[in-house]
Amino acid sequence: MIVAAAQAEVVERSTPMSGATELVVHHPPSASAVQPGQFFQLAVGAPHTILRRPYSAAWADPISGRLGFIFNVVGAGSAWLANLPEGHDVDLLGPLGRGFELDGRDPAIVVAGGLGVAVFPGVVRALVARGRRVTVLLGARSVAQLMRSDRFAGAEVKVATDDGSAGHHGSVVDLLLDQVGGLDIFGCGPTPMLQALMRAARRLDIPLSSIQVALETPMGCGIGTCLGCAAPGRAGGYLLTCQDGPCLRADRIDWDHMTDAFHG
Amino acid sequence: MADQLDIGVGLGHGLRLRGPVMVASGTFGYGFDAPLVDRSALGAIVTKGTTPRPRAGNAPTRIAETPSGMLNAIGLQNPGVEHVAREYAPIWASWEVPVIVNVAGDAIQDYVEVARRLDGVAGVAGLELNISCPNVVNGLQFGLDPRLAAELTMAVRRATELPLIVKLTPNVTDIVAVGRAVEAAGADAVSAINTYVGMAIDVRRRRPMLSRGSGGVSGPAIKPMALQAVWQLADELSIPVIGIGGITTPSDALEFLLAGAVAVQLGTVNYLRPESTREVLDGIAQYMHQHRFNNLRALPIRGVRAMAHA
Repeated sequence: MIVAAAQAEVVERSTPMSGATELVVHHPPSASAVQPGQFFQLAVGAPHTILRRPYSAAWADPISGRLGFIFNVVGAGSAWLANLPEGHDVDLLGPLGRGFELDGRDPAIVVAGGLGVAVFPGVVRALVARGRRVTVLLGARSVAQLMRSDRFAGAEVKVATDDGSAGHHGSVVDLLLDQVGGLDIFGCGPTPMLQALMRAARRLDIPLSSIQVALETPMGCGIGTCLGCAAPGRAGGYLLTCQDGPCLRADRIDWDHMTDAFHG
Repeated sequence: MADQLDIGVGLGHGLRLRGPVMVASGTFGYGFDAPLVDRSALGAIVTKGTTPRPRAGNAPTRIAETPSGMLNAIGLQNPGVEHVAREYAPIWASWEVPVIVNVAGDAIQDYVEVARRLDGVAGVAGLELNISCPNVVNGLQFGLDPRLAAELTMAVRRATELPLIVKLTPNVTDIVAVGRAVEAAGADAVSAINTYVGMAIDVRRRRPMLSRGSGGVSGPAIKPMALQAVWQLADELSIPVIGIGGITTPSDALEFLLAGAVAVQLGTVNYLRPESTREVLDGIAQYMHQHRFNNLRALPIRGVRAMAHA
């Protein structure tokens, strides 16, 4: 499944929303191989860093051979990646982990909090391409941190902001209450948001097995050897984000013991 | 030129490696999750620390990056020796590369139990005793005290005919004293070093980065200290010393070999560049060829040492 560790050329760099960077690279084998929700490990050249940075592919286009990564600058590694000029190479390892299951009962409801939205442009594109009816619920602190709706062509988009500067004034999870018959949910965001999503689902009698989440945890290797990216499993023990996820059914997680990752 | 380059290594008790580059415990699982690694480049695989019964490991957060290194507190998550003996060893038996099982526990009896279970099991080429895990209760105790370390080594020695490597902790005042003690107790080799105890604090959220507070530091940050530990051990012990600690390049590995290590283990770098074992092996071979050393024993260890006394 892994293509390899490979050099991919940076072909475009932009700011999709405030604080975030979108890095577009050209690497046809990766663009063809990646499934929506899978991630890559990006090598970092910043001084004194050592680990790769795990980023979901935001989208991939097998025809142009391009794929995009959207991330916030939170430290030396992400800052280094965000400053990679066009024409330079970035070292990719991947695609890694499990992507989303895209078949399910309509409508598909995407719930994205903060930078959790980074995994969804490609997911929504794939869902729409399958002829599915898709509603995207986007939440952010403020309007400046919202991804543009046109990144989700073919889907209905509703927004919420913590400060009320756009859409619903409050949590993105509140928007779920207005949905009718949502039994196929895709979630990604900070742990407190996902925990709120699970509470809302229980109130609405939505089984957690009908929710898929893309997990974010600190990660070492990305290939299952370091056991660093553990998430508490509902069946006891720990799941590994890199192998059991990052995309998995929400009923497999022990949400009460899920720690907040370095979400950024 | 002619001469056939021989980079084979003997670790004692009949354990011979085709090359001096091994992968360190905890950085390679049980050898199955490394699709990008050319196993034929490896002198040996050292497995994840294995205990008598399965262990779930520590609650997250388990890892954090630190300057030129990382912290881990995995907590010996492993499926237990029974699973390893039944499910993994038969597969290893078909591999050319020797697999050395890293053994951990809370009490001497735990180590003995694992050693006894693996004794004579096809596919298991040797044991590495982890007497130096900083991330579980009691994990470090055996490695800190020469008498306890010797007692443990002796007990395991009696339980198995397998080659026995003892992995030493640097979190001691005198690593050589522990090395001598385990040598006298019957260890075939020592590996040095395990991680340094360390920690990091998230100032934004005002809490330790790791859920346990502290963990073990690995990576290039600890290489100079690891090298010095190996330098001392190689001078004082007569059994082979395996060098571990922050090796990422052929040059790093050669430093350890010139300090007197007979082989090296690559750890943290496996996370960054899964192909690094091959790169390091090729780099060592190239160096040997270039400087006309026909085998690893031809490296001028004594000469290097003499330069320090000059």
